[in-house]
Amino acid sequence: MIKFEHVGLRYGIGPEVLSDINFTLEPGSFHFLSGSSGAGKSSLLSLMFLGRKPTRGMISMFGQKIGDLGRPQLCALRQKIGVVFQEFRLLPHLSAFDNVALPMRIAGHNEKEIYNNVNELLEWVGLGDSKNVLPPTLSGGQQQRIAIARAVIARPKLLLADEPTGNLDDAIGFRLMNLFEQLNRMGTTIVIATHNQAIMDTFNHPRMILERGQMRIESDSATAKRTIGEAF
Amino acid sequence: MKTMMQYFNIFQKDRKLGIAEQKGRYDLPLHQSAGKTFLIVLVGLMTFLGMMMLTTSFALHSLAGRWSSGLENAATIEIPAAHKEKNLRSDEDIAKLAKRVEEKLSTFSGVKSHTLLDKKDVSALISPWLGEDIAMDSIPLPGLISVELRDNDPETLARLQSALADISEDIRIDTHEEWLSEILQLAGGLKLGALLITALIVFVTVIAIAGAVRSRMAEHQPDIELLHLMGASDYYIMRQFQRHATAMTFKGSAAGIVGGIVCLLTIALVSGQSAQNLLPDFSLSGVQILILLCLPLFMCSIAFITARFTVLHVLRQMP
Repeated sequence: MIKFEHVGLRYGIGPEVLSDINFTLEPGSFHFLSGSSGAGKSSLLSLMFLGRKPTRGMISMFGQKIGDLGRPQLCALRQKIGVVFQEFRLLPHLSAFDNVALPMRIAGHNEKEIYNNVNELLEWVGLGDSKNVLPPTLSGGQQQRIAIARAVIARPKLLLADEPTGNLDDAIGFRLMNLFEQLNRMGTTIVIATHNQAIMDTFNHPRMILERGQMRIESDSATAKRTIGEAF
Repeated sequence: MKTMMQYFNIFQKDRKLGIAEQKGRYDLPLHQSAGKTFLIVLVGLMTFLGMMMLTTSFALHSLAGRWSSGLENAATIEIPAAHKEKNLRSDEDIAKLAKRVEEKLSTFSGVKSHTLLDKKDVSALISPWLGEDIAMDSIPLPGLISVELRDNDPETLARLQSALADISEDIRIDTHEEWLSEILQLAGGLKLGALLITALIVFVTVIAIAGAVRSRMAEHQPDIELLHLMGASDYYIMRQFQRHATAMTFKGSAAGIVGGIVCLLTIALVSGQSAQNLLPDFSLSGVQILILLCLPLFMCSIAFITARFTVLHVLRQMP
């Protein structure tokens, strides 16, 4: 599904924020991405959602080498990826409904299908009554739920989430984690960047731990817990 | 408690939101962009100027056509009021010479018809230059015979000149060529100028639309980036800008056309003539009027194409 080989990333002429990253994520896997603040979690996610090109190394996704792909192929690939951004990145002039509908419209689904799916998902995330509301008038938690709904509406093969439960209370946070679990059981590969220890403990999945631009994967949650504790 | 009407309204809104919103919805907030009115006004002005220039070009074209076709086979035979020796001819002498010329013309194969202008006609022709107050009887007037030739070729004119020389060597034939060529040259120059200004207007419109599109792309770059990350193709994003630019241009150009029509009617009224009196001099053909009314479509095509190439060009420079 995703393969990083000796991948490095630097911004401009600055130092490498990610260096020599090597890992493989199998289809249908579920990983937490963790690490201290500034360790490069968002940078790694941006490489995974094809928002940046690595300064060195090779990335393969869905069996294709990213460096070999042209713009149209990259678009097709991005449609298979759902992203929950840390800062949500909702379009403020569009209603909650239209924000969530966006990936389906881009993928060319018909409006009837969009209407049914979006309404159902908005109901599910508890925003059925707010579908006509513009995002700036919603609370941080509500905006985050719209961002999550937008990321999952088109049933992506890979879901990347940057602190998806950061602005949510525990009850809704766990409910959304259950949604991710459900998607994962249906075959979606999931990577969630989070600091939330309780969630990582409750949902026992392998952890990708970033430290000073380097990454390792801990499949044993007890070891990971100890390592993360040391890192902080 | 909600009434049935309220439920109906909500239902309608939901339907519109989910199904029928596609036409008016922009994924990018282009309709909220600053400078939208500026583009509409600019396109309106360009359309207005384009309409004026095209109207001028059409009017000059039809006037030049009318002048050249009206004088194509026409000539004027002049019996000078004075001899070569500068002695004035009497009215009787001129009348006798005119009669002999007419007899010659009647038998000349190259002449289709001829008309002798009487003294009153000649006076009417000269009076605009000398004024109404001059007593025409007190000045010597030439004899003029208007001739319509079968074929205005040099050989016929040479034969006619030779035949007239037998009557009197100072009788002249004026085919209006010199005057007509100067007028046609002037009209052609003005027409070309009007077309060049029209081309300049098109060029300015292209630059303005391309600039507006570029500035909107810069303004909404994070949103464009977001659409890209969701898998939107360059063409998907381009269509948003294309639709917006075309809609703005249509509004502006429609306003420009209305302004142009109002301006032309105002010119007709202010110049003290009704439109009907103006028409013989500046009439436009049906095709020309259709071309003018199609200006908004032409401007929209410019916007459509310009937006397409500008957006695709800028997007290809993006990562």
